[in-house]
Amino acid sequence: MSEKHNGPSLSLLLGTPVTDSHGELLGRLKDVAVATGSEAGSIAGVVLKTKAGLRLVRPTEVSVMASGALVLSSREALQPLREDDNFLLLRQDLLDRQIIDVHGRKVVRVNDVDLQWFSREEKQDLRVREVEVGLRGAIRRLLLGVMPKQAIDRFARQFPARVIPWEFVDVIEVDPARRVKLKIEHERLAQLHPSDIADILESLAPAEREAILTTLDEEVAAETLEEVEPKLQKALVESLSSETAAAIVEEMDPSAAADLLAELPDERSEAILEEMNPEERQEVEDLLEFREDSAAGRMTTQFVQVSFEATVSDSVEALRVFDGDLETITEVYLVDDQEVLKGIVPLGRIVLAKPETRLAVLAEPRFITCKENDHQKYVAELFDKYNLRALPVLNDGGQLVGVVEADHVISFLRDRI
Amino acid sequence: MLKRWRTRILLFLAVLGPGFITANVDNDPNGILTYSQSGAQFGYSLLWTIIPITLALIVVQEMCARMGVVTGKGLSDLIREEFGLRMTFIIMVLLVVVNFGNVIGEFAGIAGSLQLFHLSKYISVPICAALVWLLAVRGDYKSVEKIFLTASVFYIAYIITGVLSGPSWHEAAVATIKLPSRSAWQQRGYLFMVVSVIGTTIAPWMQFYLQSSIVEKGINIRKYPATRLDVIVGSIFTDVVAWFIIVACAATLWTHGLGAITMPADAAEAMKPLAGSYAFLLFAFGLFNASFFAASVLPLSTAYTVCEGMGFESGVNKSFSQAPFFYWLYTLLIAGGVAVVLIPNFPLVQFSIFSQMLNGVLLPIVIIFMLLLINRQDLMGKHVNSVWLNVVAWLTAAIVTVLSAILTYQQVEGFFRH
Repeated sequence: MSEKHNGPSLSLLLGTPVTDSHGELLGRLKDVAVATGSEAGSIAGVVLKTKAGLRLVRPTEVSVMASGALVLSSREALQPLREDDNFLLLRQDLLDRQIIDVHGRKVVRVNDVDLQWFSREEKQDLRVREVEVGLRGAIRRLLLGVMPKQAIDRFARQFPARVIPWEFVDVIEVDPARRVKLKIEHERLAQLHPSDIADILESLAPAEREAILTTLDEEVAAETLEEVEPKLQKALVESLSSETAAAIVEEMDPSAAADLLAELPDERSEAILEEMNPEERQEVEDLLEFREDSAAGRMTTQFVQVSFEATVSDSVEALRVFDGDLETITEVYLVDDQEVLKGIVPLGRIVLAKPETRLAVLAEPRFITCKENDHQKYVAELFDKYNLRALPVLNDGGQLVGVVEADHVISFLRDRI
Repeated sequence: MLKRWRTRILLFLAVLGPGFITANVDNDPNGILTYSQSGAQFGYSLLWTIIPITLALIVVQEMCARMGVVTGKGLSDLIREEFGLRMTFIIMVLLVVVNFGNVIGEFAGIAGSLQLFHLSKYISVPICAALVWLLAVRGDYKSVEKIFLTASVFYIAYIITGVLSGPSWHEAAVATIKLPSRSAWQQRGYLFMVVSVIGTTIAPWMQFYLQSSIVEKGINIRKYPATRLDVIVGSIFTDVVAWFIIVACAATLWTHGLGAITMPADAAEAMKPLAGSYAFLLFAFGLFNASFFAASVLPLSTAYTVCEGMGFESGVNKSFSQAPFFYWLYTLLIAGGVAVVLIPNFPLVQFSIFSQMLNGVLLPIVIIFMLLLINRQDLMGKHVNSVWLNVVAWLTAAIVTVLSAILTYQQVEGFFRH
């Protein structure tokens, strides 16, 4: 085809008559099947509705006439469409459905699909170019049958196109069996920031949210779940099986996990705890003891502590083996052998110091702490007054039990705005 | 003992939500006008319609609520996904026109009710419109819902008016449960009024609004019984209010032979010398509350519904540049409604008839789509309609359709005769 970017759109292609080389009508185009799995994204064939039932034809076996009609190279090209073929059908599964625009990070509704003829090994083949979500696609569909197809196409081109390139389209499939069959794995979605995934989940229906959350890898699912608003968080976890929920909750930050479980009905949170690893379970259970609005209720138990005697290189080693979220660490805590907090060293100082320097030398002479039962309002005041990034939480014996981080305070403050 | 009662009342109030709000918005100025007219012209003889109407309202609303809870999608979303773009487009165009007619009615109600307090419509309507606009754009769902629930409580004003009007309780009670004699049916305009009362009680926008509110609230299937109760209580309360409006007008206007009402505010004015100034104040205040309340809900609900169905960005938490169509539609509906009410000599009555007519066309389509959707196993799972519910629902749909057709026919005929 000479005009590469003037490919047919799905809506105009549907219903096109298909004839054999003698001009005898074989059937009409009913759908377009896209392959999944290893061939994912390429068009496996066009689906024809013939008198004998649905048939699949590879696009390389058809040629387009000037009139727009399709001509089949030979009758042998007609393959029966089997029930167990793993195809994504553009009209059935995509048109009018919601998809995720991975590039634009939002949920959109499909108005039309732009296809394109291109030549491959001397033959012409068909591919999906982009998905139309704007006015142009809508106009085409609305006018179909009212005007001749060519006129519709010319007219529709007057309107701006809003398209999503095919490689950024993420299809949502609610039926788990079909999802597995079609190998819908949301790899591209998983690469987005968890906060963006959370926003996307919030704009979907429950079944769709669940479909995505269970497909994502547990770590990504956990980070996403942390970013979802509490009410929805609760609803999402309640819809999952205890086992799946436990696998995700395990990967969450213990304080976020505890907050979440505290929101659930008792028997439900116990069922989830039951399924969790003993170690993570203990951490979460400890946190569950505290009031949610106290410092201990807001703190995380994942922080980096080393001995008061330790050197800079010891602390770097401790950071290396730390299995929590490294990005949130802003300081290293020095404790004596009773775990009593003795000093705080900001990460910046550690970076600049020589490896053999003793951390006690680098520590701030004064440091701010709070008690387990201090109210979170008081914690926020401390953050403001002393310009803190993190605040250690001590028990009555002065032992370090956890750390409140700035993002916990920010989310608490935002709730109050 | 007191504490137990308090918890009971709190539990009851906690249940109230989208269903209660939707049903109450339904008693908007157009509804109040129809009820007032029926009371003023035919006295108690139309009260029998209230019970079947309530049942129909409950059946239809319950289906929407159930669909919202089970699918987590709005009605326009579902129509789009299952019936395609073109059908959705047609329904949305009809809905916008019908709802615009209703919006005009609400602003006319605001103008009329405040004119009773000697406030010029050129002041009251723009101010109220600005308030309405801000309420939705600046408020979040939780606080807006609370405001709406409070507004619903003010409908009690009508119940008090009904009591103050000193009706014949015995006559009213009998007329509620007994079909009127044949002679009543032969009165001129009686059938037309029956149809109007039913038509004004079940409106297409309610189904879209209710389902979206329930989706937005994120109610899950285990909490569904509470939502169903919400819908039932809301429908009953609404129709109790309607009953009292009819009774109030019957006891005053009808008894004194003052049948002619063309604007909802007329009833309040006419009631003043007959039932005293308290009844007048309450009726006028009730009308203002109803108008303002409905004016807050309708434009917003329309904008949401259309954007949902057509796939435009929507939501008051988005900025204007993110969701331009949503804000334009919302703003134009309000601005257009205000403009029409303020334009001198605008053919208000004709336009309202025209929009009522489209209402009659749209309603059966919406109800039939709802019935098709709610019986789909793949969407609703085991929550599809039960057999007896289907019988009642299809019967309701059939009756509503026939009545709408009659109403539309009468209006078209009347329209051309004028």
